[in-house]
Amino acid sequence: MQNRPVIVAVGRTKFGEHYDKKPEKLIEEAWLAASNECNLERKNLETCYISDCFLPITNKLGLEEGFLSELTELHVPMEATRSFSSALKTACHAIQAGVYSTALVGGIEKMTDRLDKIRDNLMSLDDPWSYYAGGTTEANHELMLRAYIKKYNIEGEDLEKLYNALAQVAVKNHANGAKNPYAQFQRKISLESVLSSRKAANKALGLYDYAPVTDGATALILTNEKVAKTLDVTPVYICGYNSATDYLGYSARAELSHFAAAQIAAKKAFKNSGIDLWDINLWQVNDQSTMMELVSLEDLGYCLPGTAWKSIVESYPNDKGCYEIDGRELYVNMDGGLKADGNPIGATGGAQIYEIFRQLTGKADQRQVAIDGVTPKYGGALEFEGFGTKAYVNILGRD
Amino acid sequence: MSSEPIERRVSYFGDRLRAIRCNICGKEYFEVRDYCGKCGRKSYGKMDNIDLFYDKGKLEFCTLIDEPTNKFNKLGRYVFGIVSFHNGKIRVPGRITDQILKNDTFDPAKLEGREVTPRFRRRYTVEKNEVIPTISLAFTLADEYYPHQEYKIIQPTKDYELPGIIGYGIYSSRFRIKEGGIERAVPYIDEDAVTAAVEAGKHALIHAGLDSSLVGKVYVGSESNPYAVKPIASKVAQVLQLGEQEDGLQSIDAIDTEFACKAATSMFKDACAIVSYPRSNINYAMVIGADNSQAAPRGCPGGELDAFVGYGGAAYIFGKKDVIAEIENWYSCTSDTPDFWRRDGEQYPMHGGRYTGDPAYHKHIRKAANKMMETSNMKPSDFAYFVPHQPNPTFPTRIAKELGFKEEQYMPAIQMTKIGNTYSGAALIGLAAILDIAKPNEHILVTSYGSGAGSDAYILRTTNQILDKRKHQKINTKTLTENPHIEYIDYTTYRRLKQGM
Repeated sequence: MQNRPVIVAVGRTKFGEHYDKKPEKLIEEAWLAASNECNLERKNLETCYISDCFLPITNKLGLEEGFLSELTELHVPMEATRSFSSALKTACHAIQAGVYSTALVGGIEKMTDRLDKIRDNLMSLDDPWSYYAGGTTEANHELMLRAYIKKYNIEGEDLEKLYNALAQVAVKNHANGAKNPYAQFQRKISLESVLSSRKAANKALGLYDYAPVTDGATALILTNEKVAKTLDVTPVYICGYNSATDYLGYSARAELSHFAAAQIAAKKAFKNSGIDLWDINLWQVNDQSTMMELVSLEDLGYCLPGTAWKSIVESYPNDKGCYEIDGRELYVNMDGGLKADGNPIGATGGAQIYEIFRQLTGKADQRQVAIDGVTPKYGGALEFEGFGTKAYVNILGRD
Repeated sequence: MSSEPIERRVSYFGDRLRAIRCNICGKEYFEVRDYCGKCGRKSYGKMDNIDLFYDKGKLEFCTLIDEPTNKFNKLGRYVFGIVSFHNGKIRVPGRITDQILKNDTFDPAKLEGREVTPRFRRRYTVEKNEVIPTISLAFTLADEYYPHQEYKIIQPTKDYELPGIIGYGIYSSRFRIKEGGIERAVPYIDEDAVTAAVEAGKHALIHAGLDSSLVGKVYVGSESNPYAVKPIASKVAQVLQLGEQEDGLQSIDAIDTEFACKAATSMFKDACAIVSYPRSNINYAMVIGADNSQAAPRGCPGGELDAFVGYGGAAYIFGKKDVIAEIENWYSCTSDTPDFWRRDGEQYPMHGGRYTGDPAYHKHIRKAANKMMETSNMKPSDFAYFVPHQPNPTFPTRIAKELGFKEEQYMPAIQMTKIGNTYSGAALIGLAAILDIAKPNEHILVTSYGSGAGSDAYILRTTNQILDKRKHQKINTKTLTENPHIEYIDYTTYRRLKQGM
């Protein structure tokens, strides 16, 4: 890959409810953390790619050019997108094209600023016809689960196992979140509490199956290899990235029990990175719900369609916190995922990259994964915009 | 504040469930697009408009929604899912309506796979000064209260000298409140006079087997239009696609009328006149009377009406081909009698107590019915049926007896005790109950009453074709009033549902 993009530093805020902080404060915090890490000054940045979903409505920050300027009195070109991976992808294009050599990629969301309207906003953005018909974001996850159960004819004891597998996803992610000082929820939950929350809701998926509403910001500094070499950092390379789209309306899609966009994006990202499926044992997937993590294992190619729940049930519990699939280890959402770490939409993808970066550079502390005793070499992140409307797959690797 | 252009676009597609089919590969898409995703540019200009408005769908998957988005909060708990049409070629999201869900175990598998039919309803809650959004992505189970009726256009075979009714449809809701020896229909929370008018009109087109584009005028009489200014008739014309469609417009004259409970019956003669006038170029006209009859809560001024009000309406199509009941004669009378009124800006009507009886209802109906029989040279025994306006259970029977009609002549028309007083729809629903059972060549006397005050009397004579057309009708007065899926609710629920979203 010519002008291979390199992540030289990452930074983030704690995810959670930052009622007292202005959105600007959050992104400053994330950027400063990243800049400290690679010892770059604001004046070294040539451009910013910022992703946010609601800020243009809340306070127009997303469209305001150069808000970071106040730190250094410098103006840089800035692009705004809806997901972190989309910002990252555009930044990669610019680095590869040789337009810029150093870029800040940031993500920010302040969801509590419009807490009363957030579900209406999300739904009307993600799937307007479902919104008009009375749908909710949660309903689409439930419907996907129904479609999955029907497609694979899962019933009786198997159905119980599937429900348990989904609960185990939540339990695992919370256990991981407990080791993540930045996570929104740093506590373990029990299988029983997941199941009883479902019972209370009278539904297949309950409170503990869904990612929360979150405030937070993430940032990374992307350079080309030449610049990276001048810095005293462990570089993490973007080895492959791709994205794909599907219909905005979930009901109109040809495939209701999987995310076709994720399947396509993953296939292409594997291809353009030249990395094989099982070269990667470490993933961050977009678990807006436990159902999404389950199907993502299949959509990425690690489990055969309709079988991920079996692998999850069989690999739980183990003390490593990984899935065991055909005798191999797959570590998913080591930071707690969207479920426990949090889901500040525009910043979420940044937290995924943050975790992979930490893992590949061996700095994930208590969450550090070792594959056959060695720090992982590759890691992947799958991010969605909407309910699988757009999927991004990023494959990261170290020397 | 919602955006008017967005509301209009969503309604345009969503009310009628407009879709499109690629005539190269046959792929279907909900909403309208200019070319097929599969066939690409070569399909440009080769996309056929279709819609799902009269179709029957299948509920593929569903889930319970108990924490809706803000605009759906008033619905409480409801079922939401994915509905497929045309054997899965097209799928839409949909809400199952007309269900008051108790807080017990919900099993999606019990509903999945069942057939559903679209219902035209309010979409969600908006502010009081905003446009009321509507949609047909609300569905009812086809094996429950409203069975699916096929809309099949039938070429007319017979011309008539006199204009008359060529088809009719009745609409009411699934919910009832049972008190004081009568049952009254209660709208579901997403229903109002507009949705009832559209649904009644839809049923009338199905019964008549008439191509909707041939209807040249539509009148909607109502006293519970949720707008002070904005016609119900325009919604009816667009959703039912009445008149030829040109440039996104319907070539039809649409008008709302208001004269308390006789706003619709008054237009029967106008509809007859317009289809008879040789220069009108109108062969068919539709008259709809529909109300979510308003009443103040019990104990408040005007709250006496709360014991009688119902919900529903009926639509009649007039023409001179394949007539089922000819209009033989008519008479109307009017006086300035303020027995019942609702001031602009007021939510509920008031009425004049005992004044509503003798000098108002009885006096006008007595005059109209007697004068009608006198000018036609007919007496009560010449009629198979008498249909009086029916605001409560006692007035219509008292006037019918006084005029000399026997129970078997008027009791079949008294639907008020099953549906409640449907104001502008009351006489029309009474007539529909008679047309449901009448034999050919029978005379019917209809006498409506509208507060304010006036009465319209009509003499109808049924034809042989009434029997043929009855076969197209799966929904009629009997199926709506004697239905195992009717759900009875308490007073508090009744007031909540009636208030609407």
